[in-house]
Amino acid sequence: MDDALLWHRLQFGFTVTYHYLFPQLTMGLAWILVYWKWRHLRTGDERYASAMRFWARIFGITFTVGVVTGIPMEFQFGTNWANFSRYSGNIIGQTLGMEGMFAFFLESAMVGAMVWGEKRLGPRNHFLATLGVAVGSWLSGYFILVTNAFMQHPVGYSLAADGTLRLADLQAFLLNPWALVVFLHNQIAAVVTGSFAVAAVGALYALRKHHAKQASLFLKTGTIVGLLASVLVAFPTGDMHARKVAQYQPVTLAAMEGRFHSGPMAEINMIGQPNVKEHRLDNPIRIPGALSFLAYGSFYANVRGLDEFPEDSWPTNIELLYYSFHIMVGLGTIFIALMACACVQRWRGRLEKTPALLWMLMLAFPFPFIAASAGWMVAELGRQPWLVYGLFHTTQGTSEVVSGGDVLFTLIGFVGLYFVLGVLYLFMVGYEILHGPQSASSTVNPGGTHG
Amino acid sequence: MVETWYAILSFMLVMFVILDGFGIGAGMLQYAVGKTDAERRLVIRAIGPLWSWHEVWLVSFGGTLFVAFPSILASAFAGFYLAFFLLLWSLVLRGVSHEVSGHIDDPLWRTGWHFCFVTANILLAILIGAALGNVVRGVPLDAHGRFTLSFFTNFGVRGHVGILDWYTVSVAVFTLVTLAAHGAAALVLKTDGPVHDRSERLAKVLWNTVLVLLAVITVESEYVRPDLFPGMLRQPFAWLGVVGVLGGLIAVFTGLRSRSERRTVMGSCAFLAGLMIAGAASVFPVMLHSTLATEDSLTAYGGAATGHGLAIALIWWPIALALSISYFLFIHHHYEGKVKPAQDPQSPY
Repeated sequence: MDDALLWHRLQFGFTVTYHYLFPQLTMGLAWILVYWKWRHLRTGDERYASAMRFWARIFGITFTVGVVTGIPMEFQFGTNWANFSRYSGNIIGQTLGMEGMFAFFLESAMVGAMVWGEKRLGPRNHFLATLGVAVGSWLSGYFILVTNAFMQHPVGYSLAADGTLRLADLQAFLLNPWALVVFLHNQIAAVVTGSFAVAAVGALYALRKHHAKQASLFLKTGTIVGLLASVLVAFPTGDMHARKVAQYQPVTLAAMEGRFHSGPMAEINMIGQPNVKEHRLDNPIRIPGALSFLAYGSFYANVRGLDEFPEDSWPTNIELLYYSFHIMVGLGTIFIALMACACVQRWRGRLEKTPALLWMLMLAFPFPFIAASAGWMVAELGRQPWLVYGLFHTTQGTSEVVSGGDVLFTLIGFVGLYFVLGVLYLFMVGYEILHGPQSASSTVNPGGTHG
Repeated sequence: MVETWYAILSFMLVMFVILDGFGIGAGMLQYAVGKTDAERRLVIRAIGPLWSWHEVWLVSFGGTLFVAFPSILASAFAGFYLAFFLLLWSLVLRGVSHEVSGHIDDPLWRTGWHFCFVTANILLAILIGAALGNVVRGVPLDAHGRFTLSFFTNFGVRGHVGILDWYTVSVAVFTLVTLAAHGAAALVLKTDGPVHDRSERLAKVLWNTVLVLLAVITVESEYVRPDLFPGMLRQPFAWLGVVGVLGGLIAVFTGLRSRSERRTVMGSCAFLAGLMIAGAASVFPVMLHSTLATEDSLTAYGGAATGHGLAIALIWWPIALALSISYFLFIHHHYEGKVKPAQDPQSPY
């Protein structure tokens, strides 16, 4: 099979998208857990401890699936993308090594104790373990985002005589401006996911009239954090990210917006279908000048369209890129509206008496996962046809000793295994949610027995 | 510089085998030493909440290999493609079954996941053993530093070899038994009551088997890699490894006889570390031996990262190591001593 490249790309795309469903929830929940634990230490209010205990259990399940689906990611650089590893291993090896040494050791030492060791550790050390998990998971995110940022906007490298890359400037590589912006955008997006999950469980309990105290705490934390994060993920961080794309990947910006022709007063297309064959956008609904303003600060700025770039430098799947981007932006806008309504109602003391809004909060939790996945598809499809932007084509990166059939075999294996994992995960989280949070006095409840 | 990174990587692999080897070994004995549900849960408690910290040594070994020897990582990972995914899937199965078995208080649920856990640990031990066997025997590297391996070819150890042949299968069996023996020794230290007594009896049988298999493997290795033992004579580090092996065995057997549990475990660790160190030092600088033409073998000098990347990593790596050990100590002292049956139903550990 000579279409090995397609299977390599599909396998990496599938395993990384699936994997990232879990870390975005744990990274988002991590700081909410730290906050509750801290509130409990300060006030002694048992509600916070109980909320923390309940979500720590869900965190534990999510973390486990995140870890076991994450290990294959690290190894696939070598198994599936051997030529890419040879080409850039001198540079991205640094961050992948640092992730293991600085982040994974921290998280893995603390997480078991955080989920199960509250009594053994005592309140202060348990707080420290919770903090350790949060710091570790965000550090891990940073190292991965620096690795990805190098692929999006390579800095701090030099070209060696044998044609591979060398690390020239560690500081420039680690503080890649692209990485800093994406870190803010991505981590806040993770907080959106975490807060929506917390609010959704709060809404569920409020609608079922179970665990009333916990329901109101979940709703409070979920909606306030949710509103803040939903706003911040769009402005300023999403905006900053778009400017970086405009600056370093103008052809990607054109494709994301379905902009085939250059010119000033560039519009934002809210709706429309890219017609790549005819080089136009079908059935658009437009806001004139908005794109010029957002990308360059002036309505009259020229935004280059795809026609200014040779066709072989266009992203390889413009349709998917365009739809992913619009789904992310559209959902992001809805998140702000939903959380703003919820916060207003809660401030008026009426959130728990507004079933329609509770229903929406309860059913909204999958959408941040969709928005984040779509956002990553924008980043990765937008990078095409490059593996390292401007330096190294995706077609050059695969392991040439691995045949397409072998990759298809392992891809099918992953699909099967991950399907089973997904069912197991949903079952277990569902079980925990139906079980509900328990107060400290009821921890000897046989339903909470573990071993 | 290259020697330092070779030593660092060997150290990380030794840490993984010693630490996670305990989890893997104890895990596969879960049904042999635990006859009731409560006893099997005691085994999980004995493995403890730091099992994932143990496993991270393997993951970080991969990351560090990326820093130091990127082209060797690229050749090896792609060449062992299918075997690698079996290993990864076993790790998935093991991690999940370890964590979820405690979440729901239902005997059927737990039994199912305990069974899964045992199976995954046995698979892991076999795969790790086969991988080590492959590294010692060598792989069919061509002049471009590329190779690809089928699961098996003609079960011979020369020329176009497969992942499984008579030698790598023997190493896999040896690894299975050795990790089980290591796990049994540690279970003796970490438990009380019937689990302790059964582990003690098993440890004696297993360690005697290790002794026999070690002799077999030594003879086989001499045939498969004739340059192995001459290499060992040249390398002082390999002598250190041999001392570890012999001293470890003495400590294990006297420890078993005199029932000094800590000495047995220390001996077992020294034995495993000694074997790995002796092996790693003897083959240095060859990292991947070619079964087709010796001059095509990949060496540490040829595969190391160039430029000042290695020097930079040598600054941050020790800092990260010190931090990592401090996290371990911070958590570990809460879990020292023999584990008791779950008094606090809120916690599996």
